[in-house]
Amino acid sequence: MSLAAQPPDPQQLKTWLLAAANKDATAFRQLYNCTSSKLFGFALRILHKQELAEEALQEGFVAIWNNAAAYQSHLAAPMTWMATIVRNKAFDVLRRSDDTVEIDADQFDSEVMNALRDPQATPIESLQLSGDAKALAFCMSALEGLHRQVVALAFYHDLSHSEVAQQMALPIGTVKTWIRRSLERLRTCLAKREAS
Amino acid sequence: MNIRGNDVLRQKLASEYVLGTLKGGARRRFEGWLHNDADLRNITAEWRQRLEPMAEFATSVAPPKRVWQQIEQRLHLKPQGGWALWRDALSFWRGLGMASSAIAALLVIVVATRVLDAPQISYVASLTDEKAQTALLLTADSRHGALEVRMVGNAPVPADRDLELWAVPKSGNPRSLGLLADKGSVKLALSQRAIGSDVALLAVTLEPKGGSPNPDGPTGPILYKGNWVRL
Repeated sequence: MSLAAQPPDPQQLKTWLLAAANKDATAFRQLYNCTSSKLFGFALRILHKQELAEEALQEGFVAIWNNAAAYQSHLAAPMTWMATIVRNKAFDVLRRSDDTVEIDADQFDSEVMNALRDPQATPIESLQLSGDAKALAFCMSALEGLHRQVVALAFYHDLSHSEVAQQMALPIGTVKTWIRRSLERLRTCLAKREAS
Repeated sequence: MNIRGNDVLRQKLASEYVLGTLKGGARRRFEGWLHNDADLRNITAEWRQRLEPMAEFATSVAPPKRVWQQIEQRLHLKPQGGWALWRDALSFWRGLGMASSAIAALLVIVVATRVLDAPQISYVASLTDEKAQTALLLTADSRHGALEVRMVGNAPVPADRDLELWAVPKSGNPRSLGLLADKGSVKLALSQRAIGSDVALLAVTLEPKGGSPNPDGPTGPILYKGNWVRL
């Protein structure tokens, strides 16, 4: 997929999801074609290993097909809903496998990291992100670098406070405080963006 | 512990639940509260909307083709693997043949006797849904070379979809007979494609607007099926 590619239109994704809920295999295929690269990239980011990420993606789409009727559009954008399913499947795959996944502190791909670090140098608009993800990226870029890393580490690797503390070689109290403050800041920042 | 009324704590727990740092007993306890606390469910849904888009921060990587093939196989989605499906439908109809022929024949007598200036109806078929409810009535008028498809009631079809009628021969690819309206009736041209002696099944599938993109057969699910009764 080229960098200039547009993020999939949420309205279109919603239509396909609704059709998939009615067991429309053609619509489901189109949904897969449009979202699988993003979701596979995400699974790879969590699992690092190609074959584990393939398994998570497969499990994820089987669950998306089986649960499409339960999708509630007022609760989540389609991409977010699907990404959450894939994320949970990725953690399941991880728990089942004997492999330990290496965790790198540099959480996101450099492209996204650069945009979060310095939105002036790499505009967040240039990333293939949905509206929700763009807003979150802007607000995360306003956090201090280490705070951002702690939040991302927890989310991408399903870590507890103490596991994050271990990874980052920080006292657990510091990690707890940073996470709590970061989440509060994100909430305030997102509310402001929504209001403006 | 009672967390009702403690908004700061409720926000903190919900956010850490979504982030994933709430673990073990604390996580299970939180899930227990979610059950009978609608407001807590709302707070949690809001945190999902805030944090879960973080998933999109990973760069896209195209998955290998085999992933889709495995999904297709596990969910039995493949239209050609769908041959199994068509065959199932065939044996279903062979089993039901007697009963449905009688019903269809009765229908045709009603139709034929009500219309004085009757076209020469040589074949009829009633297509039924999965609950064996009649959804469509087909009449083949060999005098006028017309095939009339009448919807019994109406079955809503999504705006970006069409219903397509197929004649499935005993061997070879299904033959498209044309697109249908989701209510009222449609007149199609009658030919051997529709009433040839090799036709083993009639079926209606849900297809993208304009009909199946695959010239060799349907791509969508079968909604209605049935077979001709020759008069």
